[in-house]
Amino acid sequence: MNAASVSAEASPIAAPATRIGVGRRPASGGPPPRARRAALVLIGSAIALLVVVAASLALGVRAIDAAEVWQALVRPDLTDPDQAVVVQLRIPRTVIGLAAGVALGLAGTLIQGVTRNPIADPGLLGINAGASLAVVLCISLLGVTAPLGFIWFAFAGATAAAAVVFAIGGAQPVRLALVGAALTALLTPLIALVLLRDTEAFNQYRFWAVGSLTGRDLSTVAALWPFLAVGVVLAATLAHRLDLLALGDDVASALGQRVGITRAVAGLALVLLCGTAVALAGPIALVGLVVPHAARRLIGSDYRRITALAVLLGPIMLLSADVIGRLVVPNSELEAGVVAAFLGAPVLIAIARSRRVAGL
Amino acid sequence: MGAARVTTGPEVPGERLARPAPSGERIDASAIGAVRRAARRRRVSVVVVGAGLAAAIALAALSFGAAGVTPDRVISVLLGGGERIDRFVVFDLRLPRILAALVVGVAFALAGAVFQSTLRNPLASPDILGISAGASLGAVWAILGIGAGGAIVAGSAFGGGLVVAIVIWLAAWRQGLHGVRFVLVGVGMAYLCGSVVAWLLARAEVREAQTALHWTVGSVADVRGDELWLLVVGTAACGVVLVFLTRALRPLALGDDHARALGVRTDAARVALLVVAVALVAFATSVAGPIAFVALIAPAVARRLVGRGGAAVGAAAVVGGVLTLGADVAGQFAIPGFTAPLGVVTGVIGAPYLLWLLARTERTRA
Repeated sequence: MNAASVSAEASPIAAPATRIGVGRRPASGGPPPRARRAALVLIGSAIALLVVVAASLALGVRAIDAAEVWQALVRPDLTDPDQAVVVQLRIPRTVIGLAAGVALGLAGTLIQGVTRNPIADPGLLGINAGASLAVVLCISLLGVTAPLGFIWFAFAGATAAAAVVFAIGGAQPVRLALVGAALTALLTPLIALVLLRDTEAFNQYRFWAVGSLTGRDLSTVAALWPFLAVGVVLAATLAHRLDLLALGDDVASALGQRVGITRAVAGLALVLLCGTAVALAGPIALVGLVVPHAARRLIGSDYRRITALAVLLGPIMLLSADVIGRLVVPNSELEAGVVAAFLGAPVLIAIARSRRVAGL
Repeated sequence: MGAARVTTGPEVPGERLARPAPSGERIDASAIGAVRRAARRRRVSVVVVGAGLAAAIALAALSFGAAGVTPDRVISVLLGGGERIDRFVVFDLRLPRILAALVVGVAFALAGAVFQSTLRNPLASPDILGISAGASLGAVWAILGIGAGGAIVAGSAFGGGLVVAIVIWLAAWRQGLHGVRFVLVGVGMAYLCGSVVAWLLARAEVREAQTALHWTVGSVADVRGDELWLLVVGTAACGVVLVFLTRALRPLALGDDHARALGVRTDAARVALLVVAVALVAFATSVAGPIAFVALIAPAVARRLVGRGGAAVGAAAVVGGVLTLGADVAGQFAIPGFTAPLGVVTGVIGAPYLLWLLARTERTRA
């Protein structure tokens, strides 16, 4: 038993055997190298996330020293302007960044797993376009102006778009991806049409459309967390099924997988996750696309590990984009959406250039 | 045929890839010939019907409009007669716009068909691969950053598209041009450029930003003169080159190994095809703006109309031309007193049609 598992590790062809051995923990000491590497990556990412969260609380346009930040966390005194900044601005945007980052990372992972298309992400599946159209209409027709007023429209728009995509796209990867793109093609011009005719709406919308973590408070997270929670739980239960889907529908169903049900549940999870993300932060590009690729590169092709890592990498990427955006321009800020794109594109190019990109 | 169906036995769901499999029959040359002839008939009929439709729409578009030139006067003008004012309306006002709409659609559709089959991804179109976004960024920067207009904006758009294409190229090249790499890098560039455009729009004065937004939607309302000739000549030249390259397209769509086995020099063929496609997009975008998603929709629709026809380049070009021409006419005249730029209408007309086709076909053959 022990010898078998050791020899399995030596030969790359028998890779599945090492994975089976993961839980059994051979007596020769410690888990096999691949599991150890995965554990190291996960621990490293968790530490990185803590660092980024700390940076998000401590850094910004206004210089506040660490002791003051700590004070604001444990015993906030809102009459002190520094502590008020931490409590009223930095904590909310950090929490929103965490929630939206988790949602985007998981959503990207699920979409790529379900469509088996390496370029699938919330932006391509028509979900961001649905949310954007709903926000545009709510500004133009109802005169809503605050980002706080947008959240339910964004959520509803994203949900409706995802529902249409899954209703028409059904269970077939290629069709799902095409339907998403077609829906984007339908909605994007409609958004432009409203914006070209309504200058006031355009003036409101353009700030939302960049994608940002500011201008919202914790009530958005308080309103949306149940959806996020259900989405995360569904995504977690789906992870091992995505591994089977990656083998192709025929193989997956031959192995006893109910492909249709898996896709339906994934669709529900996607609706919740994408809706939450876009309602919280606006249409943020590239996070949902880059995170699963980065996770796959770091931790291998096992979807349970990819999913676990995506939960950490999503908020790391989004929050570090937000922190960098506060620091690059003196006395001003770049929106997280723009910085995330500038962070994500080089990462994506590096991943695309790596040897193992050949497919999903 | 009936006998063949009997011998296929119980139908396995999901086994539609094969034709009604003549498992009991001997496959001989005449059977293959018959299938090929049927496919060619279908292709030709799509092209002919599409061309007829385009001609009819063009004729109707020549007769519509505020100047009130009746169809019979249009025909007499076209035949070389007519009054001077009628000649001016037809040749200087209406014909350029019709021609521009038609050619822009053909260019985008050709580019989309080439992208999708060489990169073997049905989503691979210049809209999604960042080339249109690069052009938009170039134009928006020219409008908002340096306050330019006209030819400078067009040139900047052309440059933006080319720069993005070259960046994708350099980043995706590693011992040959791998399809997945190209697509991934392209999507990354699309989001990057899109984010910067959104940011530029949010920073600028709102009226100027709206002008820039108008450009990013795309329109053929003001395409005439030199711009029009550039578009027509550029598209025609690319089309001629494509005719010589299409033989490589279908094997490439089967995958690199198969294509190589069939004697295609995959890298050379792919590079040549993509250069032509990028040139088509750059010409069309610099003149008319990134007309949304024609390059995505037209080839997808064409593939479904033709059936299992691989790239269906010719049919895609016809569908693209009909789509943009019809959309431009609809945008001007469908709702009285309300005009919409071409880029808005193509999406609104084309996307539902594609969705309907997708909903109707049981299995995709993309």
